[in-house]
Amino acid sequence: MDKLKAKLIELFQSGEITLAIGYKQGTRGPRPFFCRSASDVEQMIFSNDYQPNLAVYLTKKEVVKDEKVAIVCTISALRSIAYLARENQIGQSQYKIIHLSPNDELMIFRSPWDIDPYIEEIPSTPSEDDRRVIEMLDAMTSEERWAWWAAQFSKCIKCYACRAACPMCYCTRCIVDNNRPQWIDPWASPLSNMEWQINRVMHLAGRCVGCGACGAACPEGIPVHLLNRKILDNIEENFGITAGLAPREGAVLNTFKPDDKENFIK
Amino acid sequence: MSKIGVFVCHCGENIGGTVDCEKVAQEAAKIPGVEVSTDYKYMCSDPGQTIIKNAIKEKGLDGVVVAACSPRMHESTFRAACAEACLNPYMCEIANIREHCSWVHEKGEATTQKALDLVRMQVEKVKKDLPLSTIKVPVTKKALVIGGGIAGIQAALDIANAGHKVILVEKEPSIGGHMAQLSETFPTLDCSQCILTPRMVEVAQHPNITLYTYAEVEGLEGFIGNFTARIRLKARSVDLEKCTGCGMCTTKCPTKKVPSEFNALMGLRTAIYVPSPQSVPNKPTIDKEHCVYYKTGKCKLCEKVCPTGAITFDAPDEIITEEVGAVVVCTGFDVAPTSEFSEYGYGRYKDVITGLQFERLASASGPTMGEIRRPSDGTVPKKIVFIACAGSRDAAKGRPYCSKICCMYTAKHAMLYQHKVHDGESYVFYMDIRAGGKNYDEFVRRAIEEDGVNYIRGRVARVYERDGKLIVKGVDTLLGGEQVEIEADMVVLATAGVANKGAEDLAQKLHISYDKYNFFAEAHPKLKPVETNTAGIFLAGACQSPKDIPDTVAAASGAAVKVAALFSKDQLLREPVVAVVNRMPPPVFSTCVGCSLCVDICPYSAITMENIKDRAGNVIKTVASINPGLCQGCGTCVAFCRSKSIDLQGFSNEEMYSSVMAALHE
Repeated sequence: MDKLKAKLIELFQSGEITLAIGYKQGTRGPRPFFCRSASDVEQMIFSNDYQPNLAVYLTKKEVVKDEKVAIVCTISALRSIAYLARENQIGQSQYKIIHLSPNDELMIFRSPWDIDPYIEEIPSTPSEDDRRVIEMLDAMTSEERWAWWAAQFSKCIKCYACRAACPMCYCTRCIVDNNRPQWIDPWASPLSNMEWQINRVMHLAGRCVGCGACGAACPEGIPVHLLNRKILDNIEENFGITAGLAPREGAVLNTFKPDDKENFIK
Repeated sequence: MSKIGVFVCHCGENIGGTVDCEKVAQEAAKIPGVEVSTDYKYMCSDPGQTIIKNAIKEKGLDGVVVAACSPRMHESTFRAACAEACLNPYMCEIANIREHCSWVHEKGEATTQKALDLVRMQVEKVKKDLPLSTIKVPVTKKALVIGGGIAGIQAALDIANAGHKVILVEKEPSIGGHMAQLSETFPTLDCSQCILTPRMVEVAQHPNITLYTYAEVEGLEGFIGNFTARIRLKARSVDLEKCTGCGMCTTKCPTKKVPSEFNALMGLRTAIYVPSPQSVPNKPTIDKEHCVYYKTGKCKLCEKVCPTGAITFDAPDEIITEEVGAVVVCTGFDVAPTSEFSEYGYGRYKDVITGLQFERLASASGPTMGEIRRPSDGTVPKKIVFIACAGSRDAAKGRPYCSKICCMYTAKHAMLYQHKVHDGESYVFYMDIRAGGKNYDEFVRRAIEEDGVNYIRGRVARVYERDGKLIVKGVDTLLGGEQVEIEADMVVLATAGVANKGAEDLAQKLHISYDKYNFFAEAHPKLKPVETNTAGIFLAGACQSPKDIPDTVAAASGAAVKVAALFSKDQLLREPVVAVVNRMPPPVFSTCVGCSLCVDICPYSAITMENIKDRAGNVIKTVASINPGLCQGCGTCVAFCRSKSIDLQGFSNEEMYSSVMAALHE
């Protein structure tokens, strides 16, 4: 931690950065911290378990425009940055990507493309609690599972915190904001809540890194991230793509290989 | 407020017999925005079209819905009628109340209701329709013909004679295909080579034809009028420019016992070889699999004896690209794998052969110089049995179709045998004699009546060997199912025609469809027999289904005419049903966020990323951009775009949404 702080102070003093995005202590735990001077670096805290996923700010022009940015990344944030680079959302050496590994080693990635070899070694796995819920849901019949999710989504107030927390939900116009045509009703209702979540999850299929920021952000405590996690598992089973690792040869759902199984077509 | 006209067609009894068309028209009149709604017996007829045109002019319609047959049939008819009445043709929509309704449902209230729902959906769609105009694309007036059998030769010559450039690609060292292997041809018994080889030479000499033998198409990109083909010129280890075809190399080659493909594995050839004396080009190729040099690194005898230094060992394959406007696929057929006929002893008994092998025996250029001799001991068979339908019309062997050519060539084989072996006896086991075609049945009657071929209606159960004879056990169903046993000297199987090896692969490379037997699929079995579902790619010959020579030549000329018609214009008009990425005023410019995932997903490589710049040239935003010439309107990107920034013209999100809502809400 001290190494991290020392590095940030050095960067501020040398003028290499004007903004460091990290975490500081909030009322109910860690919260995002936009540090703008060497003297404030002292407040910074870090752990790889922290939420939210700070990579979400890198695509927000109002945050990063005209700034020289360093971002202090959890492993999940690193995964997100690798994906964002693959989708042309961040540039080659636009940001200083700083990471403190679980064994307290300070790492600085010069480019998002350098992240892969590091995260390749670290599997993206759900927490023990999440795994238990997934197993419980897997054991249900599809009717029971539908009823369980319907009950969960009945609490949704359509605040879109899940969308705001997700680094991969960077579209300037989300499908729910599209009103010509209005595919999904804007108000909270059982049908439109379900439609929104199904759309959200499908739009993240093959892109989600499994950080869980969406679930953590939900003010109603709906475990929406479990839907994403389940899809990550399905992708790993069916396409052999390791969860949370940006695939080098195009994303799962938009590429095709001649030797792909076609047993469902004939 | 829209002014929409609804025109309900009875299609005679086709729709009118099941759907209450009058009621559909009356109910449709009540849909908001419908100005006029009427029904007529045949909307596609001249008076029917006049009703539409007059309504557009008199009522000032801004949209038309024709409730009739599938848009595949008459969409263009009605769009043209609208255009004549000065309405943008893309403001005309078809509600398919025939294929989607009257043909698939019983007469009744519910069927009429469904027809009305289909009309309602299209009325809501047409309200959101935007006027579109056709896209013009240039045409490369050069054709690619794949396969140099009689189909490819005919197609290439016809296109070339129409004044267009042709590239003919043949995977074997010589053109000619299966026809070059045949002895005589039915129903006239003229020599196959005598009629084919002049055509082969014409191809080689034609100024408009570029011939690539020993070459294969590796890939095809692009679209009608603008294809790019990648062709692999396999290294034949002989420089065709230097080679004079003197034949020194083939006489000196130490590897002399390679089964000859041209002789259907009945004769032998050398490792450096010319398939047949009449090959085009008549220049050798080194078969790397059997060549001593390629196997052991030593020999090069051919190089030593070659007077012009034409042997080029270890030259790599060359890949060339050619821009072409149309493709004719003529890759032909193959005979069924003979391992399937264990009950007939094929492979076990040397004297059980296939029809193609018999052709080589009967051919003057064949291994026996045209004398019918047994492969086992070289004696002349005195008794010969032909088994028709070996593998065809046999659901148990997974091939329920008729191979079409076997009845005729079996009659021909039996006839040729009788002509050559005057004291011989021939028998033909058959299921049915299918001799439809000009002079075909007469030909079979001639075999039976004049040449004394014994036709036995029934199937052969098995063939086995006893004392040097082949015992053929079968049944004569015309004699009340009596068992027959024939002691034959030789048995000829009329093996089924099957799709060529690699047909499935090629179809995938060309993006054309194929059936479950891997024969290429035509766009319409009756009305578009030489077109594929991919515009600009045509079919001819036995790659589509087993065909005889007259049918193959007819199809090849048909395909050639299609190509010539395509090349008759400098520009091609295309439907404007293409995807577009939205653009809007600053500061948004486009809702596209430039994730570029659509670039990967587009099967036609039509999408690229484009920079939107300010006047000083600074990049403001990078967004997707779709080439309307390449886009085929499949809509994959539309479905994939998360922010719905891509729309398919003519099937936009708004149009489809209105249509679906109309179906759900009523």
